[in-house]
Amino acid sequence: MAKPPIASFGSNRSVNQRRSAEWSMTLPLIVGLAIFAGYPLVYLVLLAFTRSDLGQQFQGFVGFENFDWALSGTNFSGSVGHAILFALIVSLAQLALGLYLAVILSKIVRGGRWLRTIVLLPLMTPPVMVGIAWKLILNPSGGWLNGILLRTGLIDNPISFFGNHALAFPAIMLADTWQWTPLIVILCFAILQGVPHDVEEAAALDGAYPKRIFWTVTLPMIAPALLSVYLLRVIMALKTFDLVYTLTFGGPGNATNIATFEIWKTALREFDVGLAAAQTLMFAITVSVVTLPIVLLHNHLEKRR
Amino acid sequence: MTVSAQDTRTDRLIRFVFLAAMLIFFALPIIYLFSTSFKTPDDVLQGRLLPEAATLKNYPNAFAHVPVLRMIWNSIAVALLSGVITLVIAVPATYATIKLSAFRKTVPNITLASYAAPPIIALIPLFYLLQTANLMDSVLGLALVHGLMNLPVAFWLLKSFVNDIPAEIDEAAWIDGAGYWHTLFAVILPLIFPGILATALICIILSYNEFLFASALTFSEASRTITVGMSLFQGERLVNFGQMAAASFTGMVPIYLIAFLFQKHLVGGLTQGSIK
Repeated sequence: MAKPPIASFGSNRSVNQRRSAEWSMTLPLIVGLAIFAGYPLVYLVLLAFTRSDLGQQFQGFVGFENFDWALSGTNFSGSVGHAILFALIVSLAQLALGLYLAVILSKIVRGGRWLRTIVLLPLMTPPVMVGIAWKLILNPSGGWLNGILLRTGLIDNPISFFGNHALAFPAIMLADTWQWTPLIVILCFAILQGVPHDVEEAAALDGAYPKRIFWTVTLPMIAPALLSVYLLRVIMALKTFDLVYTLTFGGPGNATNIATFEIWKTALREFDVGLAAAQTLMFAITVSVVTLPIVLLHNHLEKRR
Repeated sequence: MTVSAQDTRTDRLIRFVFLAAMLIFFALPIIYLFSTSFKTPDDVLQGRLLPEAATLKNYPNAFAHVPVLRMIWNSIAVALLSGVITLVIAVPATYATIKLSAFRKTVPNITLASYAAPPIIALIPLFYLLQTANLMDSVLGLALVHGLMNLPVAFWLLKSFVNDIPAEIDEAAWIDGAGYWHTLFAVILPLIFPGILATALICIILSYNEFLFASALTFSEASRTITVGMSLFQGERLVNFGQMAAASFTGMVPIYLIAFLFQKHLVGGLTQGSIK
């Protein structure tokens, strides 16, 4: 498009005006992010290399001592493993459930409004209350699930889901899946709406089964978008804190101790802020390392299209 | 053709069962929480879906035990204030990044990077910052933190709405001699209003639901939010589940109200922001 003539007339002034608008409009965001992300990062680096407790920071330079101790003397590496395992598993389970539910919902014409409301509620629920709701269901005394299992005679004694080493993590994953599958449903539903119908119709005219069309035609088309959804969910799941706090407090033992909770404990329960800063930095690096392959795969699929 | 028809019939059955199971799965915890809020302590121990002798006492007792309404009010104040802070910062920045191509690469990248970083990173430094600024344990302090926390989300949600406005509209306003700020307020804001509303709602919900920062940065009755208050029930030795459920449910009402009233905007905002 040709440039409007007015833009060149007195262009010095308009260039200056544009510059000042650009700066005045973006500066608050840049300052905001500097306060929320930039300053903490610098502060954490300083804390991580010093002896610091909550009351008094920067008591002296200690080199890599905090990092060494985080890796050798604390439960940190185990908690990072837990966090990654948790994030990858719940995200995959939620993507599968959410996609299937979105496929079903996209075939339903009537009653969409009610279905949408029911799907929306878990997503809106404050995570602390999600924890409370699931605690009520899974609790050994008075929990709904134990009540049913006891009444039907399947068990003789109530199961303590959150006190059991093998069951505590799956129980948290269940609560997390309850809360976040709805988001995946909403996103996948929109992705499916964006698929052009002609390709699917052509395949149907060739006599392909609906299921086959989905696996061979639709799924490859929406794969990059699904991967973005997976990436978003993994990033969010790595931040999980509230559910562990309300449901298990990291226990039993360290069975459900995930990185965010371990860092929180180190900083606000043991007051070793220097150690917590070292843990935080290592966790941040881990988060980028875990999410990077997903980003690369996504870019690869986008290019191939 | 007959084979194909039969195939879809079993498919339909599987789909129906799955859909029904998922809807029960989604609804059950909320229903059970609601029903528990009407149960007596003895009733709670039965572990049945519905109370045998429903009581209304849990609500007044919970309110007497914990200042539930005060904490809900604190949460609402923090959420609204933080929503304003987020939008005031994010709307002009999004407009400038997209329409004026200001820092077109840098701003999206740093917002994305700061979203990916776990919030626990910011917790300790912000703790000291609020202490220095004398904003510790205050509604304003937490609102500021939440306002900054939601900037990346708001930027990415608003981006797609601003993108949808054709460039000709801004250019026409500029040629008419309107300044950039004036164009944003008089021309663009009305056009992206649904996007701003959706973004505001999502940021308000994220702030209301937030727990990590709230638990570390508020502790007195004057500023403590409802999510922090609910977590305090957890520490008690003898938890009264009926009262806990009553307080929880009351705390969820404001959010569920938003969900019912604005579900179209919420779903629209979530999908437009993350897919486009």
